[in-house]
Amino acid sequence: MSTSTLASIQSRHLQELPKQRTLLGDAARRFARNKLALLGLAMVALLLLTALFADFIAPYPYDAANPAKALQFPSQEHWMGTDEVGRDVYSRIIYGTRISLSVGMGVMAMALLIGIPLGLLAGLAGGAIDYFIMRLVEVFTAIPALMLALLLLSVFGGGLLNVILALGVVAWLDTCRLLRAQLLSLRERDFVLAARMLGATNTRIAVRHLLPNAVAPLIVAATIGIPTAIFAEAGLSFLGLGINDPIPSWGKMVGNALSYMRVYWHLGVFPTLAIAITMLGFTFFGDGLRDAFDASMNR
Amino acid sequence: MQRKIIPLAPRRASAWMMFLLIVALLIQACAPAAPSAPGTESAAPEAAPAGPVVNALGKEMPPDAAPLDQQVLIYPYSGWRTFTTIDFFQAVYERADALTDLLSDSLVRLDKNFQVNPGAATEWSVDESGLVWTFKLDPNLMWNDGTPVTADDYVATFRYGADPTHAWDFSWYYQGVIKNWTQAVNGEVPVEEIGVRAVDAHTLEFTTEMPAPYLPAMLLYSAPLQKKALETHGGLYNSNPATSVSSGPYKLVEWTKDQRLVYEINPDYKGTNIPYIQRLVVVAIGQPSQLLPAYEANEIDFVWGSGTLSPADLQLIENDPELSAQYHPHYGDFRTYYFAFDVSKPPFDNLLVRQAFAHVLDRDTILANIVKRQGIPAYSFLMPGFPASNSEAFKDTYPYDVEKARQLLAEAGYPNGEGFPKLVMKLRAEGPTPVAVAQAYASALKENLGIEVEVSNMDFKAYMDELNAKPTQVQFTLISYGMDYLDPSNMLGVFLSGGRHPWSNAEYDRLVKEASSFTGDPAERTRMFQEAEKILVEDAAFVFVYHQTPGDLIKPYLKGPALEPDNNGVAAWHWPGFSTFSDLLSGVYITKDVVNYRQPPQ
Amino acid sequence: MARYVLGRLVGVLVVFLIVSVVIFLLMHAIPGGPYNEDKVPLSAEAKANYLRKYGLDRPLWEQYLLYMGNALRGDFGVPFQSPTETVAGLIARTWPVSASIGVLALLVALPLGLLLGTLAAARQNTWVDYLTSATATLGITVPNFVVAVWLVLLFAVQFKWLPTGGWGQWQHYVMPVAALALAPMALTARYTRTSILEVLRSDYVRTARAKGLSERQIMVRHVLRNAMIPLLTILAPQIPNLITGTIFIESIFRVPGLGKFFVTSILARDYPMIMALMLLVAVVWSLVYLVTDILYTVVDPRVRLEKSRT
Repeated sequence: MSTSTLASIQSRHLQELPKQRTLLGDAARRFARNKLALLGLAMVALLLLTALFADFIAPYPYDAANPAKALQFPSQEHWMGTDEVGRDVYSRIIYGTRISLSVGMGVMAMALLIGIPLGLLAGLAGGAIDYFIMRLVEVFTAIPALMLALLLLSVFGGGLLNVILALGVVAWLDTCRLLRAQLLSLRERDFVLAARMLGATNTRIAVRHLLPNAVAPLIVAATIGIPTAIFAEAGLSFLGLGINDPIPSWGKMVGNALSYMRVYWHLGVFPTLAIAITMLGFTFFGDGLRDAFDASMNR
Repeated sequence: MQRKIIPLAPRRASAWMMFLLIVALLIQACAPAAPSAPGTESAAPEAAPAGPVVNALGKEMPPDAAPLDQQVLIYPYSGWRTFTTIDFFQAVYERADALTDLLSDSLVRLDKNFQVNPGAATEWSVDESGLVWTFKLDPNLMWNDGTPVTADDYVATFRYGADPTHAWDFSWYYQGVIKNWTQAVNGEVPVEEIGVRAVDAHTLEFTTEMPAPYLPAMLLYSAPLQKKALETHGGLYNSNPATSVSSGPYKLVEWTKDQRLVYEINPDYKGTNIPYIQRLVVVAIGQPSQLLPAYEANEIDFVWGSGTLSPADLQLIENDPELSAQYHPHYGDFRTYYFAFDVSKPPFDNLLVRQAFAHVLDRDTILANIVKRQGIPAYSFLMPGFPASNSEAFKDTYPYDVEKARQLLAEAGYPNGEGFPKLVMKLRAEGPTPVAVAQAYASALKENLGIEVEVSNMDFKAYMDELNAKPTQVQFTLISYGMDYLDPSNMLGVFLSGGRHPWSNAEYDRLVKEASSFTGDPAERTRMFQEAEKILVEDAAFVFVYHQTPGDLIKPYLKGPALEPDNNGVAAWHWPGFSTFSDLLSGVYITKDVVNYRQPPQ
Repeated sequence: MARYVLGRLVGVLVVFLIVSVVIFLLMHAIPGGPYNEDKVPLSAEAKANYLRKYGLDRPLWEQYLLYMGNALRGDFGVPFQSPTETVAGLIARTWPVSASIGVLALLVALPLGLLLGTLAAARQNTWVDYLTSATATLGITVPNFVVAVWLVLLFAVQFKWLPTGGWGQWQHYVMPVAALALAPMALTARYTRTSILEVLRSDYVRTARAKGLSERQIMVRHVLRNAMIPLLTILAPQIPNLITGTIFIESIFRVPGLGKFFVTSILARDYPMIMALMLLVAVVWSLVYLVTDILYTVVDPRVRLEKSRT
């Protein structure tokens, strides 16, 4: 290749390089180009808006029982039919967004808040710290959410906060282990060695190199974690713990619907759909986030 | 060349995904309708046998009965409940609704009209004091290890029930009735001093604390354990076929834990409750929701309806003429559901508040739309058909009247519910129907009176712990009670002071206790109970909602005199069911039709 | 490595002990006990009789030491729910049942999931990808007991091809395994797809492609191995879950496994059983974690479980 061609390629390359490239800027740009991710964002936004403005969207109150109209199939008046005491299912689904999102996101937040620091510690510090954190994980794994929930409920009474606490206390385990596993693999990689040779401190390596790379499976786990938390809450509601009636949560509605399912299918299908849509939304969003961060890293 | 890796899904593709999801979910929703019962096979009708067929106990089988090897009943039990024993005196609440208490005869047994008839006891009498009862035992009864059944077995069994080291879960039952029973349970006197004594090998004597005319009815629960086996192997000797002994119509041949039990007819049975059916296979069913599918698949012959059939199940049965014909409603155990308040604290210590709550219950709508055929409206505690029941008289005590309710609440100091504390209605692990009833009522309270109510369906033991705590932690609840024996002293006894509810009324106590031991004119006795019930209803510490009328599903090939209509025209599998406590087991057989449905299990 | 494994095994013991204390305290803190009350509250003496019978009248620390002392000798007591056998006997009877369904479900779910996930990743953005993603979503969103009930209605009640439940013949395995395998299969498919896609984008794959290796060789030699790590981490927790039995599946299909005891023991306040079950779970989890950690080193030789020397 002639010198001039090389020079022209080089100069073109230099011209094309934007001046300041930040990780976030890159990611945001990639995200915006990903149609599916945008769809996911839209769905999540829609869910959040529904939760916030439930009072304006829902045609009926969620607790207005009308036994004379119990167990009606979907109709003009009640788009998703009525439940076993005559409440409008559609309204309950809308209000249920609040509860289910709170549970899903609350538990996830707890899982991340506890899991990420502990996972980081375990994966990076290694040695004795890693050892003890992992043993802690194992201890918590043995404690069933059911027992914890029974205890919390009898001491503090029922309600949303206690459900989130009971589920969150066992939800951080997966996050922690995932992060640790990723870090274990990543910290031996070449780019880490390279960074170290260039004189980067451990913190800098952790924050700027390791964490962003480790984040991808975490995001995917977080998106799966939300419907898992919603269903875990349903299990608790089944056994009389957790959210009390008349407050609707989708998981609880699915659980209740089990006794009615063979004939009154609408009681189970709509909350299941709601959970599925929530999950899809978070999945697309999560995948989009992961793709956005990931691609920038490999540049 | 680099492959395009980033997914750029057009809207069309994700629409596809949603469509597929919805289709999949709709497939889930389109549950197949209940199919009709008969299977595909149909055996050729057998040639009529030469003479009448006789079973292992010499009982002549009816002409339409299936051959002896087909005389097998398949009965479900609750696989999730604790199941440790088939003997009442070992543990009542650990028998998981299975077929139990078949290995020895109770002193008395009920017929389908709930009449008390001789069982292991051929006759009984009470002395002038009304305190000492003498029961004469059938001398023919034998254990199938060759030893005779004697009064000693009964005495040993009752002593076992009162024994503090045994900690029987039904020990409250004879408290205050049999002399020294309470003291024995509390460890104050040795168990030998309870009022149960063997006068001779075939005469049993009971001494009561005070006159108890209902004692024979209570002694429905007196199926004895064998003294020898009890001493050798302990109270669980019947949980293992190897150590099991029977003097009853059946013997235990198999118990595969968490799967099934098998009984076979006891050829050495010498009593009078002689069954037709040769073999009983009792299978575990995990979830009540699986009872109907198993029944439809011809894997079980019977489904008990109390608290098991869901509203969807009942609708399916209603829609299907064959299933409807197999659905037999009956009184069950005269169970009544009621709301209860903690009257020891505000706001429910105020009669006006309670009355307001009573007036806002729209029984008719709730029953018509939620309870439907599972119950009838209850205006008081005793169900029509139960002795001393007086339902009609209380119909207008607290009729549905929202205006009146509002007025009363305002009078009590809470106009439109202002200042009224938020309530939590606690339920005791109830099934879908009572939960729905509770929710409907909670909603009515909010709508009509402005009172906020949350409904919490709790774990059974945690609930009982809260209910019985001192002071009680259950302020507002929906709960039920069903009878243990057929006498008002049993049902009305629930509301005596010191019971499970904090309500206490001296006049009520007096009336109930006096009437319970009253040995004079039965009409007078009834009157006393009815007066007590009047106090109960009027004080509105309890708002009665409905009497349960459960319905069982019984395969059409189960027939017999026990399943014919009773004096009230009800044809059903009467309480207490297939055990030595009733003569049901001697009045049911399998007809030839069974081959159209299933083969006998191995 | 040997020293590491030894250290981990000591860890299992430590976990065992900590869990035992925590569970013991937790279960006694829950209200109610192994006694039953209905019409009439138990009198103080009657309740005392119960507590004495179950050994619950002694101080907590004494009860704990007694239990653990026996446990370390292999005697886990007698379950309140089944007093004619020992806890160890009950677990020995029921665990193989649950394990057989769990293992079968895993044997079905893993290969299928891997296959589906790989397919989806390889045919990204085609209908194959979307179909598998949709199925995966379904498998995770629809609770397995709903699937189970539907399976019973279809195959047992409607078509009568299979029994509604029970145990003893091969037909009794089909539906429980199917219902149980759905979620792990979906999870596996999803993670496989994600991991593979991620790896496909990485440098060494690009290099391999540049070197001229075929897609197949790339997949097998590079992609799958690297994608395994997060997969292993997600899958490892599935194994103990499946093996200790899923409660609703076993109850719907009347499978006499260990699953139901996880719930019924708590509801019945069966303390010996609760302790034994939780300890079992703790030990199984610890061992599974140990095995997966060791597997990490096999799959990715760069992973070093001990602290890096650089």
